[in-house]
Amino acid sequence: MMPIAERDARDLRWSQLMAAAQAGDARAYETLLRDCLPLLRAICRARLRDPSDAEDAAQDALLTIHRVRHTYDPSRPFRPWLAAIAERRAVDRGRRRGRTSLREVDLEAAMDVATPERAADAELDSRRAAVELRRAVEDLPQAQRTALGLTKIEDLSLAEASSRSGMSVGALKVATHRALRSLRRRFGVEE
Amino acid sequence: MRSEDLITQLAAGLRPVRRVWHPAKSTAVWLLLAGGVIGAAIAVFGLRHDLAQRLASGFDLPQLIAALATGLLAAFAAFELALPDRDQRWALLPLPAVVAWLATMGWGCLQDLARFGPEGLRLTTSYPCLAFIAGLGVPLTMGMLWLARHAAPLRPTPVAALGGLSAAALASVGLSAIHHLNAAVMVLVWHGLAVLVVTLVATFLGPRVMRAEEAAAPA
Repeated sequence: MMPIAERDARDLRWSQLMAAAQAGDARAYETLLRDCLPLLRAICRARLRDPSDAEDAAQDALLTIHRVRHTYDPSRPFRPWLAAIAERRAVDRGRRRGRTSLREVDLEAAMDVATPERAADAELDSRRAAVELRRAVEDLPQAQRTALGLTKIEDLSLAEASSRSGMSVGALKVATHRALRSLRRRFGVEE
Repeated sequence: MRSEDLITQLAAGLRPVRRVWHPAKSTAVWLLLAGGVIGAAIAVFGLRHDLAQRLASGFDLPQLIAALATGLLAAFAAFELALPDRDQRWALLPLPAVVAWLATMGWGCLQDLARFGPEGLRLTTSYPCLAFIAGLGVPLTMGMLWLARHAAPLRPTPVAALGGLSAAALASVGLSAIHHLNAAVMVLVWHGLAVLVVTLVATFLGPRVMRAEEAAAPA
């Protein structure tokens, strides 16, 4: 807590600056508003959780102070006048935020919520597809399964695949072609 | 925009301002304004012929004083609340006067009942009462809200409601000086209804009017 004497001295200084501002002293006004900004921010942050909302409310308070600066009576303490305006703008901002949040979803929060489900769904789909593909390959005739495995999965050249499997290059070509056509048909892909 | 930049902009366009009046001064100006308008209405319609007699007999005096006090205290409370740093409990200031006003009218009803029996509480329609108080109260409320327009960015609704109450209570005092309503129940119902209507109109339309007035005449 700030000592009372210090707070009073500061309040008196602010009060004098505002009196000068009411008379049109722009420098006094700028000094005053810059001095008060941390207090405005503190009041708004106490009421609003979101830092950008609090900063918006502090700016709303600055605009209101400007509009109603003629309502300040320099014979009275300055701080309650300032705090009442900041409180009011923070409450308004909070209400507006409350109304908006009923219609909108914060993007980051939405990502946090949506990503795990989406990722889980995608992974499940991909596993299902892999299982089906493996089954489809197992259902192929032995020659086609061997040709597909060597030329498309192990990505060997036709010569290497021929020497590994003992099948002729021509037979490998035909078997691979038939295997692919069969898989495409099974998964409904047009040729 | 950064708040520091906003401050620079606000300071760059700074113009000197005239401080708002003290609530006591605003109330005095308001009473002069409302008194002038209601006085003009009395001059047009004429005082009721038995006014002096009724006041002398003490029938209407407490009720008129309570209505006047309601108008005065509601106005002072409105001008206090129009300033940002004032306690919101100022809104309760006219409450004792309102209670006293209702009590004097209620007491009048009981007296009528004692004097005339159930006939004394017979209620008939009196639209002129409603028309006078609303017809005078609503425009007067607009004048009051112009005097308190600096409340627009902060708490316009209670200020507007109190302004409406003040205008309607003063219009009711004016009406009592003009109109023949001997039965207390008629005064209670028709004046009460009219004051309620003006206060409600002020509560719902007043804040909008104040914002327009404030925007049209910046400090």
